[in-house]
Amino acid sequence: MTTSKDEKSDDVLGLSGTSDALGNGLDEVSPTVFSRRDILRLGAALGLTTLGGGAFWGVLEAMAAKGPATEWFKSVCRYCGTGCGVQLGMSDGEVIEVRGDEDAHNQGKLCIKGSLLTVLNQLPGRLTTPQIRRDGTLRKASWDEAMALVAERFKQAIREAGPSSVAYFGSGQLYIEESYTANKLFKAGLGSNNVDGNPRLCMASAAVGYTKTYGKDEPPGAFEDIDHAEVFFIIGANPAECHQPVFERILSRRRQHPNTVIVCVDPRRTMTAEYADIHISPRPGSDLLLLWSMANVIVHDGFADRDFVSAHVSMQNVDGSAADWGALERFLDGYAPSKVSERLGVPAARIRELAQLFATRPATMSLWTMGLNQRVDGVALNTTMNALHLLTGQIGRPGATPLSLTGQGNACGGVRDTGSLAHLLPHGRLITNPAHRAEMEQHWGVPAGRIAPTPGLDALELFRAMEDGRVRCLLNVCTNPGQSMPNLGRYEEAMKRAFVVVVDAFEDTATSRFADVVLPAAMWIEKEGVYGQTERRYQLLEKLLEAPGEARSDLEILVDFAERMGLADLISARTPAEVWEEYRNLSSHSKYDFSGMTRERLREAHGLQWPCPTEDHPGTARRYIPGDPFVREGRDIDFYGTPDHKARIFLTPYEDRSDPVDADFPLILTTGRIVEQWHTGTMTDRIPEIREATPRGHFELCEGDAVPLGLQDGDRALVTSRYGALEGPVKVSRSPRPGTLFAAFYDAHWLVNKVVTDRCDPTSKQPDYKTTAVHVEKVRT
Amino acid sequence: MSLLSFLTAALAALTLVGCLYLYFHDLRKLRPGKLTYLGLVTVPSLAIYKLIGLVTIGGLPVAVLATANMEILEGAKSVESCSGCHVMQPMVTDMMDPTSDSLAARHYRAPAMQDHQCYTCHAGYGFGGALAAKLEGYRHLVRYTTGLYTEPIRIRSHFDAKSCLSCHDGTAPYEEIRSHAIAGERLSDGRMSCTNCHGMAHPSRTQRTPGSADYERLMTGRVE
Repeated sequence: MTTSKDEKSDDVLGLSGTSDALGNGLDEVSPTVFSRRDILRLGAALGLTTLGGGAFWGVLEAMAAKGPATEWFKSVCRYCGTGCGVQLGMSDGEVIEVRGDEDAHNQGKLCIKGSLLTVLNQLPGRLTTPQIRRDGTLRKASWDEAMALVAERFKQAIREAGPSSVAYFGSGQLYIEESYTANKLFKAGLGSNNVDGNPRLCMASAAVGYTKTYGKDEPPGAFEDIDHAEVFFIIGANPAECHQPVFERILSRRRQHPNTVIVCVDPRRTMTAEYADIHISPRPGSDLLLLWSMANVIVHDGFADRDFVSAHVSMQNVDGSAADWGALERFLDGYAPSKVSERLGVPAARIRELAQLFATRPATMSLWTMGLNQRVDGVALNTTMNALHLLTGQIGRPGATPLSLTGQGNACGGVRDTGSLAHLLPHGRLITNPAHRAEMEQHWGVPAGRIAPTPGLDALELFRAMEDGRVRCLLNVCTNPGQSMPNLGRYEEAMKRAFVVVVDAFEDTATSRFADVVLPAAMWIEKEGVYGQTERRYQLLEKLLEAPGEARSDLEILVDFAERMGLADLISARTPAEVWEEYRNLSSHSKYDFSGMTRERLREAHGLQWPCPTEDHPGTARRYIPGDPFVREGRDIDFYGTPDHKARIFLTPYEDRSDPVDADFPLILTTGRIVEQWHTGTMTDRIPEIREATPRGHFELCEGDAVPLGLQDGDRALVTSRYGALEGPVKVSRSPRPGTLFAAFYDAHWLVNKVVTDRCDPTSKQPDYKTTAVHVEKVRT
Repeated sequence: MSLLSFLTAALAALTLVGCLYLYFHDLRKLRPGKLTYLGLVTVPSLAIYKLIGLVTIGGLPVAVLATANMEILEGAKSVESCSGCHVMQPMVTDMMDPTSDSLAARHYRAPAMQDHQCYTCHAGYGFGGALAAKLEGYRHLVRYTTGLYTEPIRIRSHFDAKSCLSCHDGTAPYEEIRSHAIAGERLSDGRMSCTNCHGMAHPSRTQRTPGSADYERLMTGRVE
């Protein structure tokens, strides 16, 4: 082995020893410890290693997947009343990803519908041009042609038959700015109070229930209460399917606090019932008996909070006279568990157990939706549900609250709060109250007396008025009554008679069959606006996409219509931001006060809850307790909505006014939703994956009912009611209670509402979709 | 100290000794014909030198690399390794919090997941997944040591739903939910996330932002 050594020394560091005197090529090798060259080599090696490592890191950074979205935007889900915050990932002007917004109330959770929002704006079947029906067929037209025709027909009707011959039928899915504008346009502009909409079919009873009980609409509590409740009393609701992120929060609460009890009251063994600790299945239509019977146990067994009741609650008999505790006791005598057990179909012991659970646990939260609202006694059910909380003092503490769930994303903010129903004016004002009318005439700058003093027509009356010609023109926006109205056959005929303008995003809806003019609307993030969901939470949705073709936002359409009707001065706010400014300032004259919610704040916040009177107010999760800006100083609880600052209990007796079950119509049909499909399926049923995975319209019934009828799974049955008949396949299932049929209403080619009764609650005018007496027979093929 | 790290240290020390031997050896003693007596046999001195050279330069470093990597890569699977960088502490605090309902905490409590809880979900399956996870870990390490990060950290790409599906797919509770059939392909190709419906895996970015109400608790690992 040889080693070479340079002739000249490069030992600058003085590390090398002197050369061996004996002199020999090899001798010069060993004495040097580290030469200058070695140092250089070492340095180079270190440098290369660092460089290599750095380069390797660079490669890894470049390789690390970033996800396809280039930009993310905060928004809100298009669908239900949960109003989930979403984050939308966009690239090249398309929404390509969606995630739950971690900072929104839904804590990052969505359902399958929300998870598929990416495809929503790309669905086939969008309307891209206005259409006018000519010779029986809808044909393309220009905006000018279509709008001129609409204005002409509306003007003609008003001229010939007065302003009440025109009507607006709106939606809990329009933005607040849009519903507010339509309401103002019709009531203060055209002079017609015929402003109603699909929330009448969905939550009118809840709104009336709150208003009667607290003097103000909208719930006292919030979703946040879920994190504190120990008993969940879920009645007439199926949140595991219809409000999935809400139910996920409930399950989360139970996982963290295993003492939590989930009670589900439903005549079907729904997915919610499957998860519940206690499922009780009353006979459909009888659950007011259950609520009063629980009240009976609460009062007679000493579970009531007498101090709370005497301090904060007043009671009324059904005739409006004041009632005292003795009257309550006498009223409840008729509802002893043993007396109602049989009619209710629930054992008396179970009722006692529920009452005790409800009253004695630290915090009880009740949740309900269409099962209580869509009922002939919907208002009584709602006031009584609230009454249980008042009797037990299960209100005004974290986790102790009644909370009605809602079906549409903006029925609360858009319709209830703006007063876009036939009997309402903004922020809880009533048409029938002269002072309220005068106030709104002043705010809107219209002459005194412009707003008609009588309420307009509620949904059912409105369609009946089209039937007999009292209403000649209908502006139907963002809703599908051609599929969603009960006793549909009757109202299909009514729609044929009137001049119907349908504003929708999609073509070929069940309603467009009856349209004389169809106007293409932008949907969801193709326009800007504010949604207000269940818990008084307002959230801004920004415009992120362009609408297809010639489609315009509903606000633009309303503004154009106002101009053509000669009301440009009244409808002076033309953009969502301008309308919001007007509406926000208006709210400061009410207990809804959200004037602190500027557009900028809404852009930043993940929703704000009213009351929120100033720009530095954080918003109000729970009403009527300290923290709510309207609660008087020093009060633990203050029901300020009523003149005497007391919440009210109404002693409304149970009366069986449901569609009668008899020998001819021995079974009860109840309708509802499934998780994947939303309402009439206009959007969800166009999504291929959902359409393929969900069954087409069918009836579900239990084996005990199927066998005597000779029905087996997959057979076809003809279901007949006093209103109509429908044939469809049968699914034998363990879900519905004996004597009960279930059908979902999303299938546009199987209109189950043709069978459903149009009986309604006498006060809220909300139809009863839950109890239709039917006759079932097997179809022999 | 694990056996592997002891072995690594021993082998590394041996390499060093070998290097020193090679460097300081008196090369005059390697003249051809010079022999070394090893007790039983006598061999050429040069052959011994070459053998030691071969082992020191060619063999030992490879062995050290192998054992060290095995040690590091095995060790990197541990929760302790992940929480070594303090930006990961909030995830670990939350995961070990018995009252937390995050997906991480719920899986941590599940009997099916006894150790390597971070790694189990964050490494893809098979060699490719493991390699990708290690490379990602290396990337994290560089960023952490060079300070090239800001709190709250956020996952750079998408969490791979296959990590969820490899356990849950095919089980009855998974299969009987119709929404899973709808989500199916979108989950596998990353267009949809399991967390869309099933909640947050870890504390939110807001909670992990310095100054937030939860930040202190999450960073100090104090479980209330």
